[in-house]
Formats: sequence, C-alpha cells, structure tokens
Amino acid sequence: MASNNFLQNYEKGEVRTACFFLAPLLLIVGIFILLPVLGTFYNSFFLDVSFLPKQFIGLKNYARLLSSPDFWQALRFTLAYTVAAVSLEAVFGVAFALLLNEVFVGRTVLRVVILIPWAIPTIVSARTWQLIYEYTYGLMNFLVMNLGIAPERINWMGTEFGAFWALVFADVWKTTPFVVLILLAGLQAIPEDLYQQAKVDGAGLFRRFYKITLPMLKPVLVIAMIFRTIDSLRMFDLVYVLTGGGPGGSTRTLSYLGFEAFANDSFGLGSTVSVITFLISLAITLIYLRAGKFSEQLK
Amino acid sequence: MTKETMIKKCLIFSMSLLLLAFTLGPFIWMLWISLADRADFLVTGKVEYSFNNYFQVLTSPSLHFLDYLQNSLIISVTTAFVVTVFSSMAAYAVSRMRFPGRSVIPLLILAMSMFPQISIVGYLFEMFAQVGLINHHLALILPYIAWTIPIALWINLSYFTQIPIALDRAALVDGAGRMKVLYRIIFPLALPGIFSSALLVFIACFNEFLFAIMLTIDYTAQTLPVGIALFQGLHGEIPWGNLMAASALASVPLVIMTLIFQRYIVQGLMGGAVKG
Amino acid sequence: MTFMVGGAPNELAFFEKILASYTVDTGVPVTLIRQSTDSAQRKQGILLSLRGQQTNPDVMLVDVGWIGQIAASGWLEPLEKYDIDKNVFFQSVIELADTYENKLIGLPLYIDGGLLYYRKDLLAENGFSAPPSTWAELRDMSERIVPRQKAQNPNFWGYVWQGAQYEGLTCNSLEFFTSAGGGFFVGTATPVIDQQANVTALQFMRDLLHKQPISPPNTFTDMKEEEVRLFFHNSNALFERNWPYAWGLHNADDSPIKGQVGMAPLPGFKKGQSASTLGGWHIVMSKYSDMKSESASLIKYLTSARVQKQLSLKLGWNPGRSDIYDDAELLKANPALQNLKQVFKNAVPRPVIPYYSSVSQILQKHINATLADRVPAEQALKQAQIEVLELIKDYGIK
Repeated sequence: MASNNFLQNYEKGEVRTACFFLAPLLLIVGIFILLPVLGTFYNSFFLDVSFLPKQFIGLKNYARLLSSPDFWQALRFTLAYTVAAVSLEAVFGVAFALLLNEVFVGRTVLRVVILIPWAIPTIVSARTWQLIYEYTYGLMNFLVMNLGIAPERINWMGTEFGAFWALVFADVWKTTPFVVLILLAGLQAIPEDLYQQAKVDGAGLFRRFYKITLPMLKPVLVIAMIFRTIDSLRMFDLVYVLTGGGPGGSTRTLSYLGFEAFANDSFGLGSTVSVITFLISLAITLIYLRAGKFSEQLK
Repeated sequence: MTKETMIKKCLIFSMSLLLLAFTLGPFIWMLWISLADRADFLVTGKVEYSFNNYFQVLTSPSLHFLDYLQNSLIISVTTAFVVTVFSSMAAYAVSRMRFPGRSVIPLLILAMSMFPQISIVGYLFEMFAQVGLINHHLALILPYIAWTIPIALWINLSYFTQIPIALDRAALVDGAGRMKVLYRIIFPLALPGIFSSALLVFIACFNEFLFAIMLTIDYTAQTLPVGIALFQGLHGEIPWGNLMAASALASVPLVIMTLIFQRYIVQGLMGGAVKG
Repeated sequence: MTFMVGGAPNELAFFEKILASYTVDTGVPVTLIRQSTDSAQRKQGILLSLRGQQTNPDVMLVDVGWIGQIAASGWLEPLEKYDIDKNVFFQSVIELADTYENKLIGLPLYIDGGLLYYRKDLLAENGFSAPPSTWAELRDMSERIVPRQKAQNPNFWGYVWQGAQYEGLTCNSLEFFTSAGGGFFVGTATPVIDQQANVTALQFMRDLLHKQPISPPNTFTDMKEEEVRLFFHNSNALFERNWPYAWGLHNADDSPIKGQVGMAPLPGFKKGQSASTLGGWHIVMSKYSDMKSESASLIKYLTSARVQKQLSLKLGWNPGRSDIYDDAELLKANPALQNLKQVFKNAVPRPVIPYYSSVSQILQKHINATLADRVPAEQALKQAQIEVLELIKDYGIK
C-alpha cells in the first residue's frame, strides 16, 4: 500500500493546519518527556560519575542493581506501599462517597471540606504529618498516651512497621478526596429506579449495596484505583520529608533510590533505577489505558 | 421510623463525624501550631498565641519565603498560560480535523504524562546543564508544560467534543481562519473547561517537588515546596511555629481557591485524567 | 560574585556582616547564597551546581567528607597561583584534605573534632571526680546516676550521640571503631570494615540502646547534632557527644546548664585509646567561576588572621589557621582552645577518596540497621565490607 493512497482519505490543507495546531504540543512533549526518557535509557549503560571518565559498561549497572538488596528492598517497599495505600483509599473512598451521595443536612459543607487535603501541597502536608508523628510532643503520641492505647510513647519513625504506616496514612489523607470525587460522579450515574425496584423486591440496605451499588460502581472504582496506583508507584516527596528513607534504608521508594543516586553524582546507576521504575509504570499505564477505554471516547 | 432509616441515620452521623475529623484534623493542627509560640505545649502545657510566626515568615528576608512564593507564582502562572494556549490548539485539531493519527496521538500523549518523573529528571538535568538553564525559572517551566499538557488536552477535549461542529462550519464558510474560529467561537463556549484545566495545571505546578529540588539551586529559582522542605531554624532544629506558618501561608490560598472554584475543579478531574 | 555557604541563621547573619565589610574594603559586592545546616542537602546543592557548570557560586564551603569527590571531578580551581601562604594552617589538614594531585585546592576555614560533654555537677554529686576515660566507665556512671535522676525527670538518659542515618553516624562510628583499635580503611583502597574490633564496637553501640539502655530509643531515628545538643541542653542527659560548637551554647547566659558542663576527649575501649573524628569545612573556588581573581581575594580575606579570630570569638568556631591558637585574646575568650589544638592535630580523618560518600552511605545504612536491632553487628559489617569492595571493583580503582 503506498502512503499516497492512505493520505487520499484526508484533505491536504486540513492535515497541514492540523499539524500546525498540534506542533507546539508535540514538540514540547517530544523534547521534554520523550527525549529525556530515551536519554535515560542511553545513560543507563554507562558508568557516569564526575570523578571518572564516562564509560560504556553495557548491562553492568543492571546486573549491579538486580543483585543489590537495596533495589529489592525499594521494590518491595514501593509495591507494598502502593497496595496498602490504594486499598485503604478505595475503602475510605467508597465509604465517604456513599455518605456524600445521601441527602442530609450539612452535606454541602462536607462536600467542600473533603477537598481541603487535596488542595494542600504534598510537601506541606508531609511537614504537618511530621509534626503529628513527632516523638516527644507530637499529636499522635499525645493521643496514644492519653487515650491509653499504649503505655509508652511510640517511636513512629523508628520501626519499619511504624514508618510504613505513617507514610501510608499521610498518603491516604491527602489523596482519598480524589477517589471520593470520582466515585461520587459514578454514584450519581446509577439510575434511581434500580434501587426502587430492589426495595419493592424487599432487599435491605446492605443487600442493595452489594447487589446494585458495588457492581455499578466497579468501572469507575477501577479507573480511580489504577490512577492512584500509577501515582503511588512514583511516590517521592512524602518519603523525602517524613523518613528520609530510614530507618535503616527501609522506606526508600524506587523514585527515592533514583534520586539518591543522582544527588550523589551517580548518574549511570540513577538512570538504571529510573528505567526500571519507568518500565513498571508503563506496564500499569497500558493496563489503565485499556481499562479506561479512552479510545472509545474519541469516536 | 423504620429500622432501616435508623441504621442509616446513625451511619450518616458517625461517618460525617469521622470525615470531619479525618480531613480537618491535620489542617487545624497546622493552623494551631502556627499560632502558638512553642510546639511542645501538649507536653509542657505552656503556650501563648500570636501572629508572630506569620510576621517572622513574611518579614525576615533570610527565610526567603516571599522569594519562594514569587518563583512558584511565576512558574505556575506561566505554565498554566502556555499550557492553555497549546492544549486548546491541539484539542481543537483533534476534535475537529481529520488527519492521520488522530485517535492515536492523544493516547500516546496521555501515556507520557504517566511516566514517573524520576525517569525524566536525570537527563533533563544534563540537558539544562549544557545550555546553562539550571537554576532558572525556565528549567521548571519547560518540563512542567510538557508534564501537564496531556491532562489539559484531555480536559479540553472532553469539552470541545460537546460543541456542535455546525457552529464552526458556518464560520469557516464565512471565510474565518481556523485560529479565529478557535478563539472566537470555541474558546468562549468551552471556557469552563479551559478554566478548570488551567486551574488544575496551576495546582499541579504549585505542588511539584522532584523536578524542583533537582533543577534549581537557590532562592532565585526554588519554589515553595522546596523552600518548605529545606526550612530550618536557628541552629538547625526545626522551627515548627515558623514552618507551620509558612505552610499555612502556602496552602490557605490554594484551599480558598479550591473551595471557590470547587465546581470547575471537580469537573476538570472528571473530564480528563488527573494529577494528585 | 556569590558565596555559597550553609549553616544556622546566626552564622549566616555573621557571614553577611563579614561580606559587607569585605565589600566596603574592596568595592566588590558579594551575594550570599544560603544553604541549610543539613550536610547532605548542602552537598547536593553544591554537587548539582558544579555538575551543572554554573558560574555561580564562585566561592563555597565544602565538607571535609566530600572535598575529595569534588576535587577528583576537576571542579575546583587550584589556588597556588593566587599567592597563598599555606604554612599558617594545620599542616596535617592541608595535606589530608586540601591537596589533590599535589595541587592546593582549598583551605580549612574551620575545623572540628568530636568531644565528650558531661554534667560536672551530677558526676560530683555521685562521687565521681573525673569524666569517664573508657566506655565501660561511661556505662557504669550512667547506670549509677540515671535511675536516681529518672525519679525526678522521667525523660532523663545517660548518653546522647548522633545515631540517625546520616553522615554524623559515620563520624560517631569512626570514633567508636577507632577507639576499639579498628577503623574503616587501611590506606585508601583497602577496606577493613568487618574486622573484629569494629564488630565489638558496634555491638557496644547497639547495647547502648537495647541492653539496659542508657541512650534514648529514638537515637537511631532522630538524633543529629542539634537534637542531641538540645536534649543535653534541656538537662535530659548525663553525657553528650558533639562538636565544639555546643560548648558556647551550653554555657550561654540563658542556658539551663550553664557552668555545669565539662568537656573532655571521648572515651576509648582501653584507657588512652580515645579517638576524635576530624570534621570542619573548607573554602574552595569553582572552576566555572567568572570572577576568579576576586574570588581568590575573598578566600584570602576569609582566611586572614583577623577574620579567623572573629569567627572564633563570635561563633566559637575553631580556626583552620594553627598560628592563632596561642593568641592571648582568643585564649581568654575560650581557654579550651589550648587543648583543642592537640585534639585536632591527632584527629582521625575520614577516608579522603572520591567515592567516600558512597562508602559512607553503605556504612550508615548497615550500622543504622544494627542500631535499630534489625541486623546483628557482625552480619551488618560483613555486608558493608562486601558492598564497599564491590564499589571499588566497579570504579576500577587500584
């Protein structure tokens, strides 16, 4: 098939104008996203530290990374973190969305209030949580001791377990509103007569939730969760502020590991971490694009 | 009252309380500490309230709060403006013209917005180092445009596709150029969508941290999140009062903006994909 | 011209004054670029600006821990041609830290060493006439005194030191290890991290937190210089490990422990086996500077006897010049200076190698894991040794 034939379906002038309209966007995305990603791939095959000449070392960076316990630790942590945060956000998200979909006094206020955590910059919320988790005079330990939950202060950032949940909770706080908003839209799209019919058939509150709400909500929920997954997989700022990767390097995400390498002038190794992070995200993104059925939207 | 409505009422009430405590708790804590003269009052019981922390943050030149704020505003506003122009042009082409790749391009662009920033930032650093852009506003503006334009494109697309094509056909027949159609006809009709995409782009840039911490060096270009992350006190301890005041100053405008333009933000979030 | 320097706001305010007087003297305006006190963040800012080939900053302060990496990267302007007299500085420091491939690439603006601070009053009350000279003594004294103090102040602990996962932990560990007869390296390329002396020392460090603990439980998460200083400052600890800067603050007029603090060399595992890590900051010039002769004049100004004396008098910093330690005015203000000169002369340097930060990171990670009681000392150091050897192999260094 000659490309001429293919182009015959289009009008020449229109194609030219379209190119002109798309050019700025394509150019800027090409130069500042596509090119750097390819460049990172390229750099991942080099030993690139400032005090030695840059040299090609093939797959050595990959071999080094894949045999390093740090990498597996970061990968495990990133995945565990993502699973914990996203599932908690789904649970809270569904609960709050159901609530805000009911008609009751004060609903408008709550619908507005829930946006507040979303509006606060992540770094700011991280700093706030840092003070909440503070060992000596933080709010969390104050509550823990005064409500009699524990006899002693808890060193939240001192154990892998504590630091993990501290991070997850700070993330859940910040991003649940987003999930709620998306689910709320999904709830509003469920036709009311489905519920009426079920009521007539004698289905109770919880049964109606299981039989109608949840299945109808599923497509939207999946989209929200995949979106949150992609975001959690690249998490960086909360770790930077709250734990600095500690204790004992146990809370480093893949992004943090990459940043650490770059900031210490190890550009080859940093690029390798980045490439692997990229591939994982890409896989999830492809799933997302299929699940989201975005191409249908264009027709 | 039936048993079911009882249960429902109880659930609604308790969930409302939970939601309030959950969302407002940390925010109130931030404001509270920002007004207190010491952060350890829960333990010591001693505390006095004033606006001193705010005063210090705003007037002390060595904290550079206003510099960071200015950088953040310049970078976010410029980005939002450029993104609005370029993304609406592209959305116009995709929604109204026939050309090869029409259905593939927006998908590819969307996929790129989901690339983790870490996979871009190392090479960006090298690029900008070579052309001497490190520690300039442009070092953030350019990648921010590329990073946010896909979302803007999708939000705008969802609005543009709702405007009947007959409208611009008529104008084109009357001899108007494509550009003119876009800015005279489409733009006003899709204004709510364009506004919400610009708003979301602004917020995303205002929040961004990884690019900012790697591509800028000092207060002449660093943004608020970097300033707040590196904030420190007299001998290196964390001055919680000042820090929380700076945090409140950085987030209250955003919170107010979000509350006022709530409708647009929610529509924006629905219309396209989203940034956290 | 710009000068990039990190530190506490009072230190930065002081630099601002000095720069202003420099501008009055020479007519050259200098912009101060502030960095935080956090060494990792300072390093990151300087590495990124040099790697980014920025013409600013022209002059900057770098830590003795990473000057090797920066010098080996060829980012520093050699200083010999600017007519600088290097003989007035500590000779050992100039040789160890400020010379790279026989070229002078920096000057010590001030130097530091780890010291033991102790509560004179509490030791005396409990019948101890002198500070501990061995770690075992430090433990005994803590076990005797802390329970009595805890009765009045439940937050009271025996010994506070820098155990968080950062550069300070490497410094503290080097002191513990060396004072047990161990150390990190022999020469510059032979790591001996898993030797028995180090294992013993690390086991002792771990026990400080976990076996009849005399150090607070958040030592390995929160304790950096300032956290440690404030803890001791607020009368919550018997012993403290810190740099010389804490002395002036503990004895300030508004200090709750003014006059009750003593300063001594750190204990050793045997008597007389004390070790102090060499710290301090060096002033260097960027190769990318576009104002080199002006920068050289600023470096000379900041290392002049006059400014060095001011640094000592106003900030309590210890001059990098050895020739002013016998200055009457300085000795009157700070009698401890006489002893410090000896401490600095014998201080243990961290390995001066280009990839030191990577080594330090490996050490911090594994040592911190032991302090968190997640990995036994021996296993942690074995793993650290393996990783450092791998690093050396990867970099192809002989």
